[in-house]
Amino acid sequence: MSTNLKISNVTKIYPGCVANDNVSLEFNSGKIYALLGENGAGKSTLVKILSGVIIPDEGEIYLNKNNLKLNSPLDAKKNDIGMVFQHFNLFETLSVFENLIIDSDEQRESLREKIDSIMKKYNFSIDLDIPVLNLSAGQKQKVEIIRCLIRNPKVLIMDEPTSVLTEQETSELFLSLKKFSEEGILIIYITHKLKEVMQLCDEVAVMRRGKLISVSEIKNENIESLANKMVGQNLKTIKKKKAKTSSDQLIKITNLNFSSEDPFETNLIDINFSVNRGECLGIAGISGNGQSELFQVLSGEIISEKNSIEFNNNYIGDLSPQERREYLMAFSPEDRLEQAAIPQMKIFENVALNNFKSSNFFNNGLINENKIKEHSKKIISDFNVNTDNIELKSQFLSGGNLQKLIIGRELITSPDLLICFNPTWGLDVGAINYIHETLIKINEQNKSIILISTDTDELLKLSDKISVIHKGKLSKIMNAEEVTSEKLGILMGGAN
Amino acid sequence: MIIDINFIGLIIASIMASAVPLILASCGELITERSGVLNLGVEGMMIIGAISGFALMTVTGSLIIAVFGAMLAGVLISTIFAFLTQTLITNHVATGLALTIFGIGISAMIGKNFVGIPGKEFPVLFQGLKDTIPLLGPILFGHSIVFYFAFALPFITSYFLKKTKIGLIVRAVGDSPESASNQGINVKLVRYACILYGGAMSGLAGAYLSMIYTPQWIENMTGGRGWIALALVVFSTWNPIKILIGAMIFGGLTIIQFHMQAIGVRIPVQFLTALPYIVTIIVLVVISRDSRKIRLSTPSSLGKSFHKDN
Repeated sequence: MSTNLKISNVTKIYPGCVANDNVSLEFNSGKIYALLGENGAGKSTLVKILSGVIIPDEGEIYLNKNNLKLNSPLDAKKNDIGMVFQHFNLFETLSVFENLIIDSDEQRESLREKIDSIMKKYNFSIDLDIPVLNLSAGQKQKVEIIRCLIRNPKVLIMDEPTSVLTEQETSELFLSLKKFSEEGILIIYITHKLKEVMQLCDEVAVMRRGKLISVSEIKNENIESLANKMVGQNLKTIKKKKAKTSSDQLIKITNLNFSSEDPFETNLIDINFSVNRGECLGIAGISGNGQSELFQVLSGEIISEKNSIEFNNNYIGDLSPQERREYLMAFSPEDRLEQAAIPQMKIFENVALNNFKSSNFFNNGLINENKIKEHSKKIISDFNVNTDNIELKSQFLSGGNLQKLIIGRELITSPDLLICFNPTWGLDVGAINYIHETLIKINEQNKSIILISTDTDELLKLSDKISVIHKGKLSKIMNAEEVTSEKLGILMGGAN
Repeated sequence: MIIDINFIGLIIASIMASAVPLILASCGELITERSGVLNLGVEGMMIIGAISGFALMTVTGSLIIAVFGAMLAGVLISTIFAFLTQTLITNHVATGLALTIFGIGISAMIGKNFVGIPGKEFPVLFQGLKDTIPLLGPILFGHSIVFYFAFALPFITSYFLKKTKIGLIVRAVGDSPESASNQGINVKLVRYACILYGGAMSGLAGAYLSMIYTPQWIENMTGGRGWIALALVVFSTWNPIKILIGAMIFGGLTIIQFHMQAIGVRIPVQFLTALPYIVTIIVLVVISRDSRKIRLSTPSSLGKSFHKDN
């Protein structure tokens, strides 16, 4: 039986933002649909409306001509709409089986049989009796998919499913999705990754700022045309000029180890690498393989042995982040609002935070507000931060603006080395471009970068050398020209 | 010196009796916390239960009305907590502390008229069997129904959490209220129910104190047992069976240090009084050291308010 899903004139307004502005769309089973848009374009809001998590202000949803009233996720489930959320909706401390039985009315044994047959059919292999927190991201996603399949859904919605997957896991996922589609399940695939849309989908709907921009067949589109629709302007492509090879070593990590008391952190095992002046070293890997620990060890949040880090001919392994800054290192952590900036503090106060000593921001322990404000204004104009109010609390800046502010702040001291961790995570294409340009500029000034990132494309674009971190171990360091995303994918999955 | 073997039995029985209110209140609070709610009002709910039970017993003369009335009083006062934290999204810690202060105050006020009134005798079960088996007789027989219920409760609680669907839902809500809500589980309803259940068990624990353990009303008679119960939940890493162990150690050392003081052991009284607290914590910390297990049994959302947005 074929399925027809129709969204009619859906509007959802939040204070200060129209998340969905009169959106109408129609889907038919047998095809895979892409819902494409930047962060904040309204695609997540739309699918949350479809799955009953959010109730729209206006508009109707019809499944096979029946008007659906989706007031809760339960209503969506009853109407055979299944959704795999971007941030997994699993209970980490419960076992896989407990996660699956919690919303099922079936008996234990019959449910187990059903799960086994689903896993066999689609070639999944997951231990049902271990807690979910022991699973990899790809396995967790499979658990979510199984949860939907148990209910024989007519519609399956996937919200940014590949953000946590390796290349291999992604292609496995695509195979499964195609199989589901052939079996008559209507698939709606939400993403901002253009390559995936071209690879997987039959039709694409583009959203921008809450509005539906276009609906078209994939065969009539290409990556550039979709990108322009998504961003609303022509994007310039950034390319890094090949760096002059320098042999002037700036930082050298020797036999660095870190073992954590916390079993849910990753231990770092025998890390060795060095970075020359003017060079960008990219560190790839699937999140949770020790990147966060490596960043903390490099930034001094975690102290290591004095001799394990040599920077500018000084041993600094036992120094704090503040002391390392005095040696002209700078840091841009992954979590902008938790680690890099204090959300409730004003922009100019945040600017002052990493410069306790080496600036004239403070006189005899008193805050020199005028100096800081002057400087903050300079950062805002130099780094294109889209606000003119330095009294604004930093939590009200968008992710892109906040990241620009943080990078700007870190570059105050004109550091020799910038260490960044997922600097463009969750940003829109415009902001990503700006950050990338800035990073390239740093290299051109003969300064160095260590770029820890889970975004393979970003790494290939910006790095001179690339290494892969897997389970706390670093692969050998490769020249960026010799590396392809496929090769990185294999290394990220743990193969040699 | 010849020690009568039945005398040892009696000491063990008295240790168990002193553990009863701790087990009841802890197992109740454990369910509340497993759903992600931190209710620091255990002491307050307990003392409300104590005065309600004693007052109802004196006024109505019915032990059944008194016991269930005390549980109902615990439910009512915990409803205030539930309304504030779940409906008005107030801070769990501040609200719980307020509940304790409120409970102690209002119980003292109501209790004014009941000071000095003698309690009634509470019926015990299997009294006739007490002398049939040496040592075990006094331990197993001749106790109140509440006593037997308390020692069954950790096992019931454990079974409930591990084996039943509702127990699974409680754990799921405590693990991630957001996911639970997205799965169609009514998080507020579950948390309300768990808070009210915790209130009922604290009320029962209080009634046990004022009606069975020391049958009379004394102002502030819970004497910090509510706080011990709270500590037991945390140090047992939310495991009902370890609560039982912790409550027994605490009760045991409390009784033994009384005896040591009576015999006149030359150890400072202050140290002896502190001993149960120190040893209980040390033992529970040692048996709960596995950080993996702690991660698996700690309710991740404990003490965090959940507000559904749409």
